[in-house]
Parts: sequence; C-alpha cells; structure tokens
Amino acid sequence: MADVQGRVRERLRLHLVRHGAAAFEDPVLFAEVEHLLRTSIDAGDSHALILPELLGEPASWRLETAMRWDSHRPKAPAAAVLFVKRRVLMPLFRWLFEYSRDNFERQRRVNQVLFACVQELALENARLRHDLERREPS
Amino acid sequence: MKLACVVQRYGAGVAGGSERHCRELALRLAARHDVTVLTTCAADYVTWSNEFPAGESVDGPLHVRRFPVSRPRRLKRFAELSDEVFDGRAPEAQQEDWFRENGPDCPALLDYLRAEGGLFDLVLFWTFRYAPSFFGVPLVRDRAVLLPTAEEDRAVDLSVLEGFFQIPAAYLFLTPEEETLVSTRAGRRLQPSAVIGMGLEPAPPVVTPAPLRDPYLLYVGRVDRNKGCDTLLEYFIEYAAVHEGPSLVLAGPAKMQVPAHPRVRGLGRVSDGERDALLQSALALVVPSPFESLSIVLLEGWNRAVPAIVNARCAVLKGQVRRANGGLYYRSSAEFAEAVETLRASEPERRALGAQGLAYVEREYRWPTVMERVERLLDEALALRRARPRA
Repeated sequence: MADVQGRVRERLRLHLVRHGAAAFEDPVLFAEVEHLLRTSIDAGDSHALILPELLGEPASWRLETAMRWDSHRPKAPAAAVLFVKRRVLMPLFRWLFEYSRDNFERQRRVNQVLFACVQELALENARLRHDLERREPS
Repeated sequence: MKLACVVQRYGAGVAGGSERHCRELALRLAARHDVTVLTTCAADYVTWSNEFPAGESVDGPLHVRRFPVSRPRRLKRFAELSDEVFDGRAPEAQQEDWFRENGPDCPALLDYLRAEGGLFDLVLFWTFRYAPSFFGVPLVRDRAVLLPTAEEDRAVDLSVLEGFFQIPAAYLFLTPEEETLVSTRAGRRLQPSAVIGMGLEPAPPVVTPAPLRDPYLLYVGRVDRNKGCDTLLEYFIEYAAVHEGPSLVLAGPAKMQVPAHPRVRGLGRVSDGERDALLQSALALVVPSPFESLSIVLLEGWNRAVPAIVNARCAVLKGQVRRANGGLYYRSSAEFAEAVETLRASEPERRALGAQGLAYVEREYRWPTVMERVERLLDEALALRRARPRA
C-alpha cells in the first residue's frame, strides 16, 4: 500500500510543482506537509476540536442545515402560514432543499477539516516554540 | 443460559446485515443455550409494515416471538425530524422522538421486555439506531448486551447516545474501529466487551460457470449513493478514460442512475450462485462505502481469496484491509487508479493480497473463533451481573 500511496504522492507533488508550488520541489518537505494535513483530515471528523469552542455563539458561525418552522406572527395566522410552508411549499421544493442541504453538509465537513488543520498547525507551532525555548541559553 | 436476542426484523429471507448477523449468531448460541428471538412482524425496513404473523414460532432450535408494529413508519415526518435532529442542535427529547419515528414502533415488545425481561440471564440487542434497542436496553439494563453495529454516520453523533451507550451491561463489537467509535461517543472505554466480527464457513466450490471472461472489478450490493457508488463510478470512469483495463461490474439492485459506459456493467440483482461465481473470478472486489460497521461482503471476497480495493474514508474498511493486508485502499481518484493498476499489473501481488485476506478470515472469522469470543463475553457479563448486589 505504501508503494501505491508513494507513487500517487509523487505524481501529485510533480503536478503541484509544475503549477507553481516551488516549495514542494523538496520531496521531504512535501512529505512532511502532506502527512500533517492528512493527519488533520483524519482528525477532522472527530469532536476533539478547540476552535468551535473559541468561536463563541454558534448562531454567529454554525451552518444551519435544518429548516426551522417558526413565525413572528400571532398564534392563528402563524399556524396558517406554517401550515402552508410546511405542508404545501416544502413538499414542492423538497428537492431544492435537499440539494442545498447536501452542499451545506459538504461545507460543514470542509469547515471541520480546516478547524482540525489550524489546530494541528497551532499544536506544531507551540511544540516548536517550547523546543526552541528549552534550547535557548537562559 | 437463557438468552433473548432482540432485533428489529427476523427471518431466513430477511435481507440486512444486522438481521443476518443476529440470526447466524442466535442459531449457533442455541447449541449451548436456550435462545429466544424477540422481534417484530415487520419484513420491510422502510415501512415496517406487519408481514409476519404475531405470536410464537420456531426457527430450528430457536424460539421466535413476534410482536406487531403499531404503525408503519411515517416517512415524511421521519425525513423532517431527521433534518432537524442531524442539524446538531435538537434537544434530547427531540432526538428520542427520532428513534421513535425511526421505529419499528413496537410497544408490545417493550411491554414484554418490561414484564418478562428478568426471566432471561442476558438480553442481546442488535443495532442501536432502532426503537426496540434504544427503548429496550434501559428496561433490562442489568442484563443487556448491546451489539451497536455503529457506523460513522450522522445518527451516531446524536448527543443522547452519550448516555445510552453507557447503559448496557456488556458490549459486542464487530470491529476495533466500531469499538473506538462507540467508546468515543460514550466518553469512556466500555467494558466488558469483545470484538467478535462475523463468522464465515469456508467458501463452497463454485458450480455456476464464470459469467464474464474479461477481467473485471466487482461491486456487490445495492447500487446506491449512500454506499459510495456515485464516487466509485466517477473514479472508475476517470480511470477508464486513461487506462486499458478491467471493466466494472455492479451486482445488485440499482437505486441510482448507472451511467452508460462501455466498461460499466450493471447486472441488477443476481442469484447467490452467480454472486459466488462473480466473486471467484473478479480481479478485485471494490467496497466504496464511506459507512460500514463490518462489511460482510469484504469478508466474503477474502473467503474466496479475492483482494479488495476499499474506500479509505471508512475507518472500518481501511482498518480491516490493513489488518488483513488483503488489499488496497483509496482516498482519491488517483489512488483508486493506482490501486487498480497495481493489481492489474502484478498477478503475484494480486494473488498474495487475496491469500492474505483468506488467511485473515481463517484466523479471525471462522465460527468457532467467533463463538469462543462471544461465549467468553457472555460468561463474563453473567458473572458480573450475579456478583452485583441486588438493588
């Protein structure tokens, strides 16, 4: 399996270099970057992420993929409006809703992966800083 | 021991991974124990409509007790509730409603567990996601053994499961990855537990002649987006545009549009004999699903020494392939193409991977090995229950 991945990785590296990612001319550097990002992607599906906690109020950043059935109107008109939305319009446009929801789900996954990448890079940075501090003469 | 096996549907002709797992295990447990299957009258997992007669029957050595489903699944209500619950902000009461709507809603089965559950030494529950398990486990918590059959899908993320997964007295998992997933959701290591997988008999010889002459990759199962078939087709067509090579054979009922392509062959539903013949002669078995708790078809491929190409996004599939060293895995179109080319270019390598897969099945998934793990866990669970002071 390592051979298969190695060949694919090398082709990807050459493709990126051809398209301007000159830093990846060094295969060792590329392997390290690729490993770090891959680890982050694997961790991206987990719940052990710090950024969602730090971002604060979820309403300000979280993707909402469900339709909320509520209304600001008084009780009786609200019930009528919600009935029309839910039982008449929604069945008609469910295909469109599902199309959008599936795309939002993809975006949510990308966001999680990016959160994980940032976390991994922050960790790496913190560890390197600690190493440096330990090595510096006091 | 007096054992009960609770499962959402049951019967020799009932298709479904957990249903099959339950029946195969229950039949073997009956060699040493008094086993009763507690199930519903449903045969269809979409509607849960009552098709079997309610009441008692036998299936070989097993007692089967069927309870009627009180109402068919309300598909529209369930779809709406799923939208709301999987958005991630639903309160726990609404999440519990999701399990109720997912069904099968079978109050008589729950009443029976409430009244008679204490007569069994242990009660085994298959599949966390269905109502009989979700609402049944708490009723017999001191003797409940859960086989979650959990996959990395949205349902397993529901916060209400953190508490639920801690209730059972013991756990049987299908793979180490499933154990990790469920333990992570529960927030602690779940004990006592065992990873048991699924038993297989040695593959019988193929009697049907090989249906295809040219080399082919084989997909077996429902041709469905949820099974990763859309991505498989996309990757295969990209591969076929560049490489002379095998065709892709899809053996299973199509639930999505299969693109017209000279090297893609959709066979629809095939008989067991045709399936065996197709497996036996395949260049490789492809398992593209992003969500699996075990993948019986992967084991069946290895049982015939056929190497596998699996979706690496599914931790279970990747883990199985790595442990067996019985195939290759892909994350991208490029890796998929490279994996196919590797197997196509080197027959010795292809055979070696297949043989390693078979050795893995021999080592881990023969029934005596599986049953030994199950029996050990059940003994331990019973001993723990008996040692616990009565409330």
